[in-house]
Amino acid sequence: MSDLLLDVRDLHTYLRTGEETIKAVDGISYQIKRGETFCLVGESGSGKSISALSVMRLLPAAIASHPAGEIVFQQENLLTLPDAALRRIRGSRIAMIFQEPMTSLNPVLSIGAQIMEALQLHNPGLSTAEAEERTIKALEQVQLPNARRRVRDFPHQLSGGQRQRVMIAMALACEPELLIADEPTTALDVTVQAEILRLMRELQESTGMSLLFITHDFGVVAEMAHQVGVMQQGKLVEKGVTEQVLRQPQHAYTQQLLAAVPENLARQAGRIRGDNPSLTLPISKEGTSTSADSALSLARGDQAGVSPLIEVKNLKVWFPIKKGLFRHTVDHVKAVDDVSFELPKGGIVALVGESGCGKTTLGRAILQLEQPTSGSVKMRGTELVGLSAKALQPWRGRMQIAFQDPQSSLNPRLLVETTLTEPMKVHDIGNNAEERLELAGDALERVQLKRDFLWRYPHEFSGGQRQRIGLARALVLNPAFIVCDEITSALDVSVQAEILQLLLAIRAERDLTLLFVTHNIGVVEYLSDWTMVMYQGKIVERGPTAQVCGDPQDAYTQKLLAGVPRLDKVA
Amino acid sequence: MTNKAQLSKAQVSRESFGRMIWKRTLGGVGVKLALTWVGILVIAAVFAPFLANSMPLIMSKDGEVSMPVLRYLDTEDAAVLAAFVTLIGLWLLPMHLKLRSWLMWIVGVTAAVAVLASLMLKPPQLIIYDDFRTAAYTEVDWRLMPPIPYAPTDYLRDQRALPLQAPSIQHWLGTEENGGDVLSRMIHASRIALSIGIVATSIAMVIGVIIGGFMGYFSGLVDMIGMRLVEVFESIPTLFLLLTFVAFFGRSLYMMMIIIGVTSWSGYARYIRAEFLKLRKQDYVQAAVASGLPLRSILFRHMLPNGVAPLLVAMSFGVAAAILAEATLSFLGLGLVDAPSWGQMLNQAVKSATFNWWMAVFPGGAIFMTVFAYTLIGEAFRDAIDPTLARATGVN
Repeated sequence: MSDLLLDVRDLHTYLRTGEETIKAVDGISYQIKRGETFCLVGESGSGKSISALSVMRLLPAAIASHPAGEIVFQQENLLTLPDAALRRIRGSRIAMIFQEPMTSLNPVLSIGAQIMEALQLHNPGLSTAEAEERTIKALEQVQLPNARRRVRDFPHQLSGGQRQRVMIAMALACEPELLIADEPTTALDVTVQAEILRLMRELQESTGMSLLFITHDFGVVAEMAHQVGVMQQGKLVEKGVTEQVLRQPQHAYTQQLLAAVPENLARQAGRIRGDNPSLTLPISKEGTSTSADSALSLARGDQAGVSPLIEVKNLKVWFPIKKGLFRHTVDHVKAVDDVSFELPKGGIVALVGESGCGKTTLGRAILQLEQPTSGSVKMRGTELVGLSAKALQPWRGRMQIAFQDPQSSLNPRLLVETTLTEPMKVHDIGNNAEERLELAGDALERVQLKRDFLWRYPHEFSGGQRQRIGLARALVLNPAFIVCDEITSALDVSVQAEILQLLLAIRAERDLTLLFVTHNIGVVEYLSDWTMVMYQGKIVERGPTAQVCGDPQDAYTQKLLAGVPRLDKVA
Repeated sequence: MTNKAQLSKAQVSRESFGRMIWKRTLGGVGVKLALTWVGILVIAAVFAPFLANSMPLIMSKDGEVSMPVLRYLDTEDAAVLAAFVTLIGLWLLPMHLKLRSWLMWIVGVTAAVAVLASLMLKPPQLIIYDDFRTAAYTEVDWRLMPPIPYAPTDYLRDQRALPLQAPSIQHWLGTEENGGDVLSRMIHASRIALSIGIVATSIAMVIGVIIGGFMGYFSGLVDMIGMRLVEVFESIPTLFLLLTFVAFFGRSLYMMMIIIGVTSWSGYARYIRAEFLKLRKQDYVQAAVASGLPLRSILFRHMLPNGVAPLLVAMSFGVAAAILAEATLSFLGLGLVDAPSWGQMLNQAVKSATFNWWMAVFPGGAIFMTVFAYTLIGEAFRDAIDPTLARATGVN
């Protein structure tokens, strides 16, 4: 077994917090052969990152212990190796890249200096000129344009994708035999992710290194892995050849996870792109003709359809860039640039785009949370732009918003009860405190939470529960329209699936109109009736979801869809 | 039925929130000591005329029972007493009032008592302390004297007591240069120390929170104007303004409070502005705006409690700084003329020809302890009000 590179045998990693001991990794075993990619996949808290950090022994010794198991890297047990010997392996033979490209580079050193430092440390004989030459080569290897000039750039001058390339270049500069990648593309946009994944595959082929790849995304697993291990609560519940695990999962947990992937959710519901266009417009009682008409009006962007709930016309949100002593405006950031569309009543419209394309700003501008520079937003025929706060007040209750970040979407100082009943009181819903309390309890039950959660504070809840409370807050006012701003992107896939199913159920019973802002194409395909694709402040493509996702016309949409990692792309 | 149960649970939860904070604040040993010290100061300040005075509290002469001390109470004493009694009453009575009604009650009762007292109480303008040691007050059936039987301005001329005596059985903390009892003077001075700290800081807080809140929430032009105003006020040296006002308008405690308050709000405004700028973009504030909640609720319910933590620490330092400012002024000899204050006592310690340690150690120690205590309380409160730091004990 000379081609066996890393052998993890019965690894246990315990973390102490106060008096408690958490079994973060609880007896996992796997092998990685030379030139192979092993993916560890699991939800947050499953111990996948901890197990990778254990391999590098990067966990603080004060809180982490390894009561059992060994990690054998070429006949050497990394867990018992003295520090000096370990340092020779770290970086030069096992390298690691991390999730957050914004914080994993030192902001005060140029990227070249950071790579050179690593090189010279592991190759003490290397002269500065040689090191610089190898640094440039490494940057060229990761396809950073103008590598020779950019060596002297500082991290803030690079985009997120470029930084991740630099991280990879740094990891690869010493030609390691094993590269550990801890969610390297999670913080990146889909198109950038596709490029990075392609780059990593190419580099692996050319250098013959092994890859321990940690991710939560089964699409990425499908694209990258030869072998895959599924982790749940510190245990490896299933491992095997990727295709086998993804096609015929044996363990119940793997089956459950795979079923929750939006792609598969959509498949179950029979609404995957290209299957049958008529199936993609499942609209409630009011009749299919209405929605078909409004679908057309949406597709054309004109007003021919039946009265839409929301009409957006020539909407612009420009943020001025001010410079100089007198802070005069030199230019504008055109977050939303001349956008027009209509949202039909009772429909779910997905607004898709990458970070910075202005989709969140557009959602907020519709709700008048962001002051539009020009243009008009009409709800049921009433112009909302330019209304005074007082005149806007009655409309506030009819349009609501749910947010992305479960950490900041609820006021940490207020009881859930106060969060839910205060808006009701302002909008005269419920005659007295008792009735409002009753309604708030109903709303919590509607989002499948317990009634007595009313008497708790937000920090006592998990991320998924908080997102449900956030939804309940939007629902208590009986709005006609809700902007869902990436509400599932911070959640694990199984929790995401539950929230999406909940949204569909609520939409069906309340005839809600949803603008679902997201970057996740799988979610779009599962959830939405219509899709708008946004790029650099403009809507570049719109239409029924099946049409947009199945037969994209715009070049950007095509690129976006091609970048999405999918389960069917098993390597 | 279930509804009833829930409502009662609401009451329990609302009521226990304040208690929870209180319990958590009291968690540490240091803060317990600090609160004890402040408690002692409060008791001393409120009951000063009953704790240290030259006249009997109650006496019986020829079968007639009288309370001489009451005759000499002035409006200020009455108002302080009323505020204290209202506070204790509201605390003990099983009424669940909101903070606002608490404040309304205390301010209302205090103001009413102050007005009544100024109309009804006519304390003698001139108090001749020697009288209390004549037969009229000594040859009685029985009498009860205060624990420290010397008024702060009773210089014991009739007893020909030597000034600047070291601590003894008779004068526990010694006497000052005029022969006044140091302990008695310190007890009466605690009133000035406490009130100037709390009132001046409250004035500064209210102004700072309102201006800073608007600056942070609206930003843009409001912020620009506000910041210029902050800069203007920051460039005013408080001490020299106080000196100027003292020179023009004479010495008044209330004037000092107002001047210290009006000149020191800029720090609070900056803190609140910074917090609000950050909080404004938080999703829950956006959600509050999207729900159409009134501005008052957004600012003071959704933003202020989340941005108050740095303010509480600043406030404890503010109280300490106000006490120090008054002490400095008195130390320079520009404080109140007749009423004793800790700073003025320190001044006496420095001015006399010999170093009298008791004149420096006790008032200096009191200033130090008070400033230290407020800092400890501020920090403990900051930790307690943060629910994410809630310990495992007893949170729901």
